[in-house]
Amino acid sequence: MFNQGLSLDQAPPVSVPFRFFLTAPVFGILLGIVFFISPFETISNQYSSLAIGAVHLFTLGILSMIMFGAMQQMMPVLAGAVIQKPNLFANIVHTSLTLGTMGFCTYFLLDVKMALHIGVLFLAISFLTFFIYSIKILFQVKFLTSTVKAMKFFALSGLITLLIGLYIASSHMSSNIGTNHYAFVNAHMLFGLFGFAVLLIMGVSFQVIPMFYVARDFPKIFQEKAPLVIFILLFILSVFFFFNFDMFFFKTLLTVVLVAFAVLGIKSLNNRKRPVFDVTLWYWKFSLSMFLISLFIWLSNALESSYILAVVFAFGFLYSLLQGMVYKIIPFLSWFHLTSKGYFNVPTLREFINEKHIKYHFFFHVASVFSFVLAFWINSFIYVAALLFIASNILFLINCISAIKKYSNIAKTDPMDMSAFK
Amino acid sequence: METISSFLTHDHRACDEEFANLENAVAEDNWELAQEKLDKFGSDLLHHFDMEEKVMFIAFEDRTGMTQGPTAMMRMEHEQMKQILEQLKVDLEKKDKDHFFGVSESLMMLMQQHNMKEEQMLYAMADAHLGAEVEAVIENMKAL
Repeated sequence: MFNQGLSLDQAPPVSVPFRFFLTAPVFGILLGIVFFISPFETISNQYSSLAIGAVHLFTLGILSMIMFGAMQQMMPVLAGAVIQKPNLFANIVHTSLTLGTMGFCTYFLLDVKMALHIGVLFLAISFLTFFIYSIKILFQVKFLTSTVKAMKFFALSGLITLLIGLYIASSHMSSNIGTNHYAFVNAHMLFGLFGFAVLLIMGVSFQVIPMFYVARDFPKIFQEKAPLVIFILLFILSVFFFFNFDMFFFKTLLTVVLVAFAVLGIKSLNNRKRPVFDVTLWYWKFSLSMFLISLFIWLSNALESSYILAVVFAFGFLYSLLQGMVYKIIPFLSWFHLTSKGYFNVPTLREFINEKHIKYHFFFHVASVFSFVLAFWINSFIYVAALLFIASNILFLINCISAIKKYSNIAKTDPMDMSAFK
Repeated sequence: METISSFLTHDHRACDEEFANLENAVAEDNWELAQEKLDKFGSDLLHHFDMEEKVMFIAFEDRTGMTQGPTAMMRMEHEQMKQILEQLKVDLEKKDKDHFFGVSESLMMLMQQHNMKEEQMLYAMADAHLGAEVEAVIENMKAL
């Protein structure tokens, strides 16, 4: 197991994670278009089909897309869990996730019933392939770091999210919405957002914050216990949904753990040993701050509509962090694969993507998040927000492509041939 | 009791500290200080590699019979880091700050993932396999 991980023969080819990273912003652009052409009252109403379609364009097309891509790289590196046929695995998961997201969202956005069947079929293929295989290899890992443990809970939460999701989809297909429908929907959201998304982010942060930024570790006890506590709380809260119990106590408990995570993360980043400026820090700090704000909104039920909560949590917290991570992963993998193959004049990590262009993207991204929030009070701002979001995703895509182009231009040359660099 | 794991992990942290000092000096354009810090960091890093390669790895290989396993992998990564260290020296001579930070970031990432593998697996394996020899191995490393 020890030789696995960041050794070239075990790490998946760069095309594996890169295809996921390049697909996500395309769904981002589509999502921006949906916001632009939809009436605000409908898309901001969480029960409308339009809103369900938009939410899944994000959770499937962007969130799952980037997380699946990153996981295929991280499982071998951070956990020592190696995917045996990385290309085949990526082909199945990526193709079916893309087709599934398109089918699923077509149903909710355009009301084409046939598309739901196709979408659900492909999503089931993608998620089941990913989770069953991940659970299998993660549970075989002998040396259990806190990241491996968090990843296991992430994978279990993902599987639970999928199973509840399939049940909800089947009731849509048969047009048979039962009395417990919204309890299932709430449990689906809970496991999807706090289990699937937050647990993975947490597990990865435990290793990536100290590694990328030479910052302090999260306290050991927190690393060991927090993912388990969250996982148990998700179960309790889900049961409460079905019986309509008052869940303020457990909601508070969950919030305390999550706030602790965000605060520890921000503190660790602020006290990092490596003081050199790094633009991805903006993404991390913005993301964790948005996380704190969204937790406050969630716990206090401060706003009647969940529109602002959704925007702050999804775009402010999740998407910011995912983008910051992708900006670290793409240059590192490009550099790592090229140097390991013996290329000499490889660009440094900072030369794969122009830092200035990442900053432009960041400004567009932040401006779009604030405009989305503002649109709640001044509805016409939704047009500004949608356009900024589209622009931000185009910039994200261009930045990623430019790095991957640099990589492939060098990879096409002979490692010993220096003429390409003159 | 001191273990291989605690002793060498502590040395990793000390190297990280020196590395951060080096980067700080370059960030402040203090090239003279940077040269001093690079010399210090370079010698500390090579000393750490020596303690592992000349003492601990050999003891580990003798005991386990694994010469092509984890220690071979770690030696390869040490070589990779030495090459990057040379690039840093060139950048410092040229006072090429931008390039320096690109290269230093690469070294930092390699170092961190390398340390993680050692701290989380190899050192624990070494402590377990070497048992009663641990103390002597640490003494021999300190003597270098």
